[in-house]
Amino acid sequence: MLESVTMNAMNSALDGYAAAQTAISNNIANINTPGYHAQVVDFASALEKSVAAHSGLLPDSAIAPTTSLDPTRLNGNNVSLEQETLAEVSNGLKFQAASQAMSQQFSEIRAAATVN
Amino acid sequence: MSFDAIGISGTGMTLNQTWLDSISDNLANINDTTSPNNPAFQERFVQAQANPGMNGVSIGGIVYGSAAGQLVYAPGDPNADAQGYVKQTTIDMASQMTDLIEAQRAYQANSNAVNAAKDMYQSALQIGAK
Repeated sequence: MLESVTMNAMNSALDGYAAAQTAISNNIANINTPGYHAQVVDFASALEKSVAAHSGLLPDSAIAPTTSLDPTRLNGNNVSLEQETLAEVSNGLKFQAASQAMSQQFSEIRAAATVN
Repeated sequence: MSFDAIGISGTGMTLNQTWLDSISDNLANINDTTSPNNPAFQERFVQAQANPGMNGVSIGGIVYGSAAGQLVYAPGDPNADAQGYVKQTTIDMASQMTDLIEAQRAYQANSNAVNAAKDMYQSALQIGAK
């Protein structure tokens, strides 16, 4: 139960959202840095495949950031504050959803463990 | 998972704080006059430099603008030369004000990112509680 696909998938999701938050923070910190390109973490399809394959685990490479190919401004920077803010909000909420689901799993395990 | 997103936003806040400081410096000295033989007040620029990897941003250095300035006829000024000219900086007030807004907003964006990261880490700390 502790190593179920659900548990693994939520663990992977939490790791992914945390990595995405780091990338977003880094993008916002570099919003005016000449030549900086936004970094994007997108692990949704990889996780979907992993869950379909009854694993739920993700390799580190799946949550590694990739460089955004969006067009740059005159200073060679392509960070969009709107995009980053939206990603930050939705990412935070998804993280909370996954963490609450994980808590729920734990309380079910606790209930099962204390039944007598 | 580590708490590094907060530190990254911290580097952004430091950078924008430095930028705000240098803009304030430019604005404070915008009306400085010197004798035409001396260099005019040089505009301060802050260079942003991305840290390698996911480590935020750092201040690459402070660069100074031109010291050429412009000659202004002000015979009453104590710095005026025999012909009545003083040297003033060519800093453009409007561009300083737009930079000021940009730096302020960038600072706010970083501080919002701190809050978002904080909420996230807090909800992680609640896993399994209760």
